[in-house]
Amino acid sequence: MSVEHASTRIIDCYARGLDGTDLTADEVWAVEAHLEACRVCRERLAAAVAVHAPGVAALVGNVWAGLEPRLGAPVARRRYRSVRLSSWLTPAMVPWLGMVVSVALLALLLDLVGGGYGFGSGRVSLVLLLAPVLPVLGVAASWSQGLDPAYELTASVPRAGLQLVLRRTASVLAVVVPALLVGGWATGVPGVTAAQWLLPCLAFTSTTLALGGVVGVTRAAVAVVVVWAGVVVAPTVVASRATFALQTGGLAVWGLVLTLGIGVVIARRGAYSVLGAHR
Amino acid sequence: MRSVRKAPDEWDEERLVRLVAKGDRAAFDELYRRTAPWMAVRLRRRCADEQIVAEVMQETYLAVWRAAGAFAGASVGGTAVGWLWTIAARRLVDAFRRRAHHAEPPPAAAPADAAPAAEEEALAATVGGDVGDALRHLAPELRQVLQALVLDGLSVRETSVLLGLPEGTVKTRARRARIAMRRALT
Repeated sequence: MSVEHASTRIIDCYARGLDGTDLTADEVWAVEAHLEACRVCRERLAAAVAVHAPGVAALVGNVWAGLEPRLGAPVARRRYRSVRLSSWLTPAMVPWLGMVVSVALLALLLDLVGGGYGFGSGRVSLVLLLAPVLPVLGVAASWSQGLDPAYELTASVPRAGLQLVLRRTASVLAVVVPALLVGGWATGVPGVTAAQWLLPCLAFTSTTLALGGVVGVTRAAVAVVVVWAGVVVAPTVVASRATFALQTGGLAVWGLVLTLGIGVVIARRGAYSVLGAHR
Repeated sequence: MRSVRKAPDEWDEERLVRLVAKGDRAAFDELYRRTAPWMAVRLRRRCADEQIVAEVMQETYLAVWRAAGAFAGASVGGTAVGWLWTIAARRLVDAFRRRAHHAEPPPAAAPADAAPAAEEEALAATVGGDVGDALRHLAPELRQVLQALVLDGLSVRETSVLLGLPEGTVKTRARRARIAMRRALT
């Protein structure tokens, strides 16, 4: 970069504008090009303006006076809050989450009023019957092509894939599990521990995700709910007592299912970035 | 905020514009203090009407305050000061359009009576020697057009508004100016 600067005469003449003796065209051209690149000469020009061109100096002051009130408070330039929230939830999930929570609350209410499904020592809490599949519905809703209008946009973003699936699943669980915990604690059906429904609940969620990588999350959720209804709910209703699956002995099985589900999800993490996974 | 926090008057204009984009009022004050006299002088040379100049400056700095984030930065090869001037030149053209009357086109620089002293010719190597001579001998109306197109970076249409000429004339004069420059330089 050249350290040559414009001479004082040129700066002064330039500052004086068109009133005084003017510069030649090439000088004007050169000084304008130079001023755009040179901070030192701009400072010198400002000094020259103050001395030789009071009109321009007054103009600068007036413009500032007019400008200042219009600046106002700086506009809020970023919406941190909504950006943060929207990376966890989609608006389409909200009614589904509401539905899931209200089902949990209804089950809780029925438990409190009717004392659970069945009679005597074989009573089965409704919360216990429903809890494992409730989050599955929420997870399905968060990955549904039919329910989420922005689904194609979401599917095409670079962050779509396992990370986003897990984020949304986590947000579903964050809403549903506390509701169920409160429900389980409030019903206080004898012999029902949190682990008895929490473990199946997590196991089903992971199974849904694992299956979802193959057939689509929504279909997987439907399949899981059907299996649950056929294997656990129907025998319970027919026999009026808790099946093996809901008893303490079944916990090891649920733990195994949970581990398997997580393992499959991790092994097939690439599968969630294809469009089919969102069906 | 930063580990090394220097006084605002040590920052370069690019840094200031980036701070303005974040809503830093002190940086905006500093930017105005530094560039406003230069901008006022440069605008006054293109528009005799002080009212319009004040209006244009106000709009320019308001736009800078609100949209400094749009400055792509030195990464695309532009300086912050050049960016400022681009905004100002566009606003000046807009102001002319709005007023529907054309302010006095900048009177052509009077031909040099006396040859400038040698040391004054030794400007920052942008325009000098043969190019300077060629420019000086160019007819004023051609030089005006060349100045708007090359130095101010305006389009043909914007130049025609600024100078109050039909677009066709601007094109013809630009071509004639180029031919004259080429002839003078060979």
